[in-house]
Amino acid sequence: MSPQRASSAGVQPLTTVGHPTPRIDAVERVTGKARYTNDVQLPGMLFARVLRSPHPHARITSIDVSNAHALPGVKAIVTHENGQVVWGSGSVAGGQQYSDEIKKITTHRRYTFNNPVRFVGEPVAAVAATDRHTAEEALHLIRVTYEVLPFVLEPEAALAADAPKIWPEGNLAVNNRNEPQPQVQRRGNVEEGFKASDHVFDARYSTAFVHNAQMEPRSAVAQWDGDRLTIYTPTGGIANCRTDMARDLGIPQEKVRVVCQYMGGNFGNKNQNQDADLIAAVLAKAAGAPVKLELSRKEDYIGMHGRWPTVQHYKIGVSNDGTLKAIQLRGFSGMGPYRKNSGAIAGTELYQCPNVESIVTPVFTNKTVSGNYRGPEFPQGFFGIQSMMDDVAAALKMDPTAFILKNMTRKFRDDTPYTNYSLEECLLRGMEMVRWKERWRPAGTDNGRLRRGLGVSFMAFRSGVGRSNAVARVNAKGDYTIHVGVTDVGAGAKTTMGVIAAEALRVPLSKVQVVWGDTETCPYSVGESGSRTTIMTGYAVIEAAKALMVQIAEQGLPAGDRVLTASSNPNPTVQGAVRNAFGAHFCEVEVEADTGRVRVTRYVTVHDCGRIINPLTASSQIVGGATQGIGMALHEDLVYDRRSGVPLTPGYYGARVMTHQDAVAIENVFIETDDGYGPYGAKSMGESSKVPAPAAVSNAVFNAIGVRVKDLPITRDKVLAALGGRA
Amino acid sequence: MKAFTSVSPRSLPDAVTALSRARQQGQHAIIVGGGSDALALIKERLIAPDLVVRLTGIRQLDGIARDSNGLTIGGETTLAAMARHDELRRAYGVLAQAAESVATPQIRNAGTLAGNLAQRPWCWYYRNGFTCFKNGGNTCYSAAGENQFNAIFGGGPSFIVHPSDTAPALVALDATFRIVGPKGERTVPAAQFFTLPTVNPARENALEDDEVLTSIHVPAAKAGMRSLYHKVMDREAWTHAIVSAAAVLRMDGNVCRDARIVLGGVAPIPWRLTEVEKLLVGQTMNDALIDRAAAASTTGARPLRNNAYKVPLVQAVVGRALTDLRA
Repeated sequence: MSPQRASSAGVQPLTTVGHPTPRIDAVERVTGKARYTNDVQLPGMLFARVLRSPHPHARITSIDVSNAHALPGVKAIVTHENGQVVWGSGSVAGGQQYSDEIKKITTHRRYTFNNPVRFVGEPVAAVAATDRHTAEEALHLIRVTYEVLPFVLEPEAALAADAPKIWPEGNLAVNNRNEPQPQVQRRGNVEEGFKASDHVFDARYSTAFVHNAQMEPRSAVAQWDGDRLTIYTPTGGIANCRTDMARDLGIPQEKVRVVCQYMGGNFGNKNQNQDADLIAAVLAKAAGAPVKLELSRKEDYIGMHGRWPTVQHYKIGVSNDGTLKAIQLRGFSGMGPYRKNSGAIAGTELYQCPNVESIVTPVFTNKTVSGNYRGPEFPQGFFGIQSMMDDVAAALKMDPTAFILKNMTRKFRDDTPYTNYSLEECLLRGMEMVRWKERWRPAGTDNGRLRRGLGVSFMAFRSGVGRSNAVARVNAKGDYTIHVGVTDVGAGAKTTMGVIAAEALRVPLSKVQVVWGDTETCPYSVGESGSRTTIMTGYAVIEAAKALMVQIAEQGLPAGDRVLTASSNPNPTVQGAVRNAFGAHFCEVEVEADTGRVRVTRYVTVHDCGRIINPLTASSQIVGGATQGIGMALHEDLVYDRRSGVPLTPGYYGARVMTHQDAVAIENVFIETDDGYGPYGAKSMGESSKVPAPAAVSNAVFNAIGVRVKDLPITRDKVLAALGGRA
Repeated sequence: MKAFTSVSPRSLPDAVTALSRARQQGQHAIIVGGGSDALALIKERLIAPDLVVRLTGIRQLDGIARDSNGLTIGGETTLAAMARHDELRRAYGVLAQAAESVATPQIRNAGTLAGNLAQRPWCWYYRNGFTCFKNGGNTCYSAAGENQFNAIFGGGPSFIVHPSDTAPALVALDATFRIVGPKGERTVPAAQFFTLPTVNPARENALEDDEVLTSIHVPAAKAGMRSLYHKVMDREAWTHAIVSAAAVLRMDGNVCRDARIVLGGVAPIPWRLTEVEKLLVGQTMNDALIDRAAAASTTGARPLRNNAYKVPLVQAVVGRALTDLRA
């Protein structure tokens, strides 16, 4: 699985950037020296556990904590009665970074402890005790009486006139201006488009709730020193977590320190604070001692967030030659009872089309909360629309690659050019690798027990530039230090920053030390979300390095104990163009017609992520993202009992997360480009590999069996039902 | 989890005494082997024992011994040891393969044969703490709930499926289970060890609370015996069978002289296909016979709302098992 690189014209080789570089913290990570949040031990530290709602919707009429308090070792108990803090970024942000302005206007407040509770797993109380077992035992001594309320689980059902109201205003999720409005995008006129079409197709697709499932179990450690709070927590954004904590607790930012040095995976919605951080802080204050709050895997599944499930109704108008005339999407996203993130459904922007109408409605439900997970609105939407288009191509008896090449985006929303355009090259290169022309056959050609299929999907994904900070220092010996507010969620950002700094400073990587993951020692960083760290903070590193080199040129290296310091705060923009990363995925499957088993037999990815800074970690990103996408396509689902509203499959076992045995060898080629933006032309990467994967798998299964499984995940029961329906 | 005391007796009488004494004192005592299932149940608070009696320290319960009548496998033999045992692999492929198909290497290294046979069901409702038959209640939530993995045979009033992989293999091999309790020792044929919910919907087998499943005896392999275990999962590792088939045939050339076909994952007990067996015995194994056997394998199946897919799946698995054994 060694990475292949296919350099394009215009990418000049560099000295340190672009060479395979092992992670600078690899040894600490694999020898157990790396201190993850849950490794933090403080003198006198207490352990905390959370009591969670067993009901999907209920009013708490009383909480009696007296028996729990009486248990020896219990030091503090908080509930909605005595420990309620607004958790701003837990709701209402609707895809925006939480801010003072949003806090002012919101009517949908989410607290650390809410009454009524609105999903199974919502925190009701928390206990800090001298040890874990005492804390857990104390939870079972808390007596809560609930007035059980009616609940609703599915987004379309939640919009029915007689559906139980989760908020007084109704179940249509409000945006960050309190407006209960769907997200609408229009160009042209779809009704005219349908009239001008030779064929009009419509179909419904759906995707399931898929949990981020990062390896590291969640925990938070809070310590007060007078009015100063230190919080150790697995966050992808120490800077944003700090501002969130300060705002929610009503204390100045300078009084909050956030530390996150090592993480076992991010995968979304961690560029902020979490309720666990606030609960730990409130308990630590109440107990007068440091508190470590730990979540079990099950609590993480039901209590935090995962990818929002969607229902997508498409109507597509097309001419006889396969040219798109109109695209209409009516989408519904299940958000749980709080709007932790946007609930958007991406995909219509992938096609050239004069008439497009996308109306996506995020809906409150009494399931667990939906949030960002690696390409928040993309894998769902790309699955839906690219399955739909694949079906349209099949109905027109067209090769799907011909359909894509005819209709795929060439300019952003058909009017703004891209900074560079390599989508066609990605597709053609992948077609060559899988020998598409020779090997592709129309859907359902195989009739035997083993049915082979080949599927394709493609992606274009935002790769914008933007503000971040870095500080560069040098001492008398010529040792360089780079301070960046990244936390290294697992993608290798620390190494990436070191490599970029070494290149910019024209020194070997060994001369550069990276300081990261602590608001006390690092400047603001945009945070590791949205595939932005390399582009934005990496660019700030170059700017800081350049500024430092100017100082060195002017003054020489400092003498004695002196240190030269340069900082940067660039805020670059792209003018008159849209910056995207591009890619194409090709999936081959073998479906056993008698058992419904789907086996991915080959998986090929081709990506333009701009210049590759470190081929080793870049490949890992592609392999990891594609693997998650295959898991979303074939396996994972948080199944709910429809009668009780209780989630039945929380955790790695129940949700059928892929094991190493299930993982497929991902073949991966980079088409390197340099459009002049970002650090040495690097583009976004972290989400690129995930977003087209479910569509590629869906199209491969369709090609194999000749029937579309329209609802993810494509499990054995659905495959057998599809095949049975055809027989 | 609730705090508990753990003891590791060195002998079987000590273990039985510890259990009886604890119960006389009103304590909730359980026995465990590797503990992989028990610990999960304790953590989820599905059980809250005061005393955990670990059997893995009792030497005589661990190991595989041969005699003229067959093999005796100690209840505390690990699944990993079974999977790599030469004679099991050679003469009782169905059992070695079943042991090897369980969960993950970690769990097979800790998990024991007795524990695998006596593990509690993995029905979502039971494991999520619903007050069902298995959790002291008097209803089965899967019957009208999310029942994609539940029973298509033998269900009612509980619709769990028996989760053990080694159980269908041992029923197919006509094994005998040795059980020791305060009243002494008894032996039970494998097929009678597992009990239907109509007998007692709260339990899956004939073990009393203070009894220990000490060993399993499999009879000597007869000439011409061939066997295999075929397990269908919804991922490649670490999950229970959606459907499995343990098949043991005694062949004389192309003619089937004896047959045992037992399904896993489809019923509250290992589900023996007696009618299919009858159809095979005395017949020449050919495609037509295998097709008839496969078609007959789901006679009497009563799928629930979400598990009708198990019907064609059972037919496919039975057909494939027989085809592979003929080859």
